[in-house]
Amino acid sequence: MSTITIVGLSHRTAPLEIRERFVIEGDAARAALRRLAAAGCGEAVLLSTCNRTELYLRADSHANARALAVRFLSGHAGINETDTDSYIYQLFDEHAIEHLFRVVSSLDSMVVGEAQIQGQVRTAYEMARGEGVLLGPVMPRLFETALRVGGRIRTETRLGTGAASIPSAALELARKIFGSLKGRSALVIGAGEMSELTVRCLRDEGVRNVTVLNRTDARAHELAMLLDARAITFAELPAALAAVDIVVTATSAPHIVLTREIVRNAIGGSRDRPLLILDIALPRDVEASAGELDNVFLYDIDDLSQVIEGNLQKRHSEIDAAQAIVKAEALGFQQWYRGREIVPVIRELRGWAEKLRAAEVERALKSMRNLSPADRTAVEALTKQLMAKVLHGPTTRLRDAYASNGDAGIAELARNLFGLDADTTNADNETMEVMQDEG
Amino acid sequence: MIGLFHTTALLCYSVAAAFLGAAFAGRKNGVRAGLAIATAGGLLHLCGLVAYANVFGEAPLVGLAPSLSTLGFIIVVFLLLSALLSDSRPLLLIVLPLVALVVLAAVLLGLHPTGQPLAFRGPWFALHVLFAFAGFAGLTVSAAAGVLYLLQFRELKGKHLGRVFRFFPPLPTLDAVGKAGVFVGFPSLTIALILGWGWSMRFRHALSMEEAQVIWGVVTWIVFACMTAIRAPWLAARERRGALFSVVGFIIVVLAYVVLRVSPAARGGFL
Repeated sequence: MSTITIVGLSHRTAPLEIRERFVIEGDAARAALRRLAAAGCGEAVLLSTCNRTELYLRADSHANARALAVRFLSGHAGINETDTDSYIYQLFDEHAIEHLFRVVSSLDSMVVGEAQIQGQVRTAYEMARGEGVLLGPVMPRLFETALRVGGRIRTETRLGTGAASIPSAALELARKIFGSLKGRSALVIGAGEMSELTVRCLRDEGVRNVTVLNRTDARAHELAMLLDARAITFAELPAALAAVDIVVTATSAPHIVLTREIVRNAIGGSRDRPLLILDIALPRDVEASAGELDNVFLYDIDDLSQVIEGNLQKRHSEIDAAQAIVKAEALGFQQWYRGREIVPVIRELRGWAEKLRAAEVERALKSMRNLSPADRTAVEALTKQLMAKVLHGPTTRLRDAYASNGDAGIAELARNLFGLDADTTNADNETMEVMQDEG
Repeated sequence: MIGLFHTTALLCYSVAAAFLGAAFAGRKNGVRAGLAIATAGGLLHLCGLVAYANVFGEAPLVGLAPSLSTLGFIIVVFLLLSALLSDSRPLLLIVLPLVALVVLAAVLLGLHPTGQPLAFRGPWFALHVLFAFAGFAGLTVSAAAGVLYLLQFRELKGKHLGRVFRFFPPLPTLDAVGKAGVFVGFPSLTIALILGWGWSMRFRHALSMEEAQVIWGVVTWIVFACMTAIRAPWLAARERRGALFSVVGFIIVVLAYVVLRVSPAARGGFL
């Protein structure tokens, strides 16, 4: 019987410098899936993010799947298999199912409740489907169920609420001060990655006019083009400060860039609109006393971290509720998964019953020569219906009992009871038909 | 029946306030539950007022207890409307306990007619009282929004980014609710004063500026006028000043009521 196996490494088992060697993306990931399928792993899904690389395999045996996965991962990372072994973990069947559900729900993420993982799992699943390496019903159902579980957790718990990154914490503060950010304007001082990320978040929320100021004009213009913004020089800074609602500053300057005096002169004495200054530089760019000015709200990295910390505590209080959903869904999937193994037995039982029925009907009809064709049809239909009703109860109970216990002895007992032959028919091919018949 | 409806409504308001307090402390779904229970309380309260009108054949607008109950109900209506139309459900945290106190006072004083003259049962008087209560409800909601605004502003300015920061609505939302309270309450009170003047001229053929209710009405009107002027677009920091004056204005109106109630001017029969 095929098994579900996960082989991989994550932020829990390997440091960043090791994890980054195992990252496989884009065309390399597609090629990897094809190679794995050709090597005989059965079905495969490859999930590779900055915090984990995991192979989800459906193969004939755990040992085969593991050996294949380790060989593949070692070859890709350029690390020998013994060293790879020290970083990877493997999970099988019910543990693998529960792990996937935890991963997609972000319960296994570095930042619990992060939203990206759901999309990353979906992308990995769709890539595998696109490459044609998902041949049976199990892996698609597993991943579709996982994505549904992730959606459920985000809807039914507050695991993903509240800012958990610097840009999103900045957004949370901006919303509390301004309400909607639609139509607001922002000034970016410093053209680094964090400035860019923060401004992108603000843009997504509707901040319309963005102005960029940087020590080097070329970089300012580059970022302005990237953000569909306007680049200015230091001479234009006071006018820009007076006009905007939000200032994001993240320069690498070793000294103060915005003094209290500059801010005070820019906003004047009668400004009614609040001015939000997000100083995400280290060392800080803005003089701390600028925050004492009327209607000026000044926050630095520590303040944003305070917002994040509060939200993470709230998220952690939701873990138990999320975990309960994962366990319940994993149990439901396991019952379906185990129930499949009884499919060949049910098929044999139906086959045996049909042979018996057909033989008895033939024998009976031979002695009822006066029956019209319509009557013969009615007799056939009656006996078929009778047999279906007789078998419905036992087959349903057989499947439920196997799903609950997973005990191969139940299948054996059913064979013995009805005198069936052992059959090695592939359950995957029969699963959908039987499940449709069972309704 | 009247007492039962009012007592159950009072219980609902108290429980709703408790749920909101729990939500503030971090409990999930506290706001939704609080809002649902407050709405149920409002419906029961309405049943109590309708029952009063059915039993006694007059609207619950005359006498301290019935008037307090009606005022409490109108405040709840304003609150629920503002919670529905804006993200200001935490406002219920401040105002529901106040409403519960008002309804408790009404229940303890006894919900029955005071035997006032027939003139008090006419449409003039009813409209006068209803518009006046709408004015006071607007003032109450504006003051509550002002309290939340000032607290949230203090937390944001002082970088205290804890429960208040997370639970309270954004500053513009609170300012909008405060403004709505003023811009609904002020015209309502103005109409109430005009109707009151008309009613006095019709039934008493005189309006004495020394009567307690007239003094209180005028003081409240002046407070409202100042609250409106403070929010003029050309004034700096009008949001914060507006919030502050809503709170101060509410306190002035309540103090004025207390002073007038115990003064000799109230002996003519003041609410």
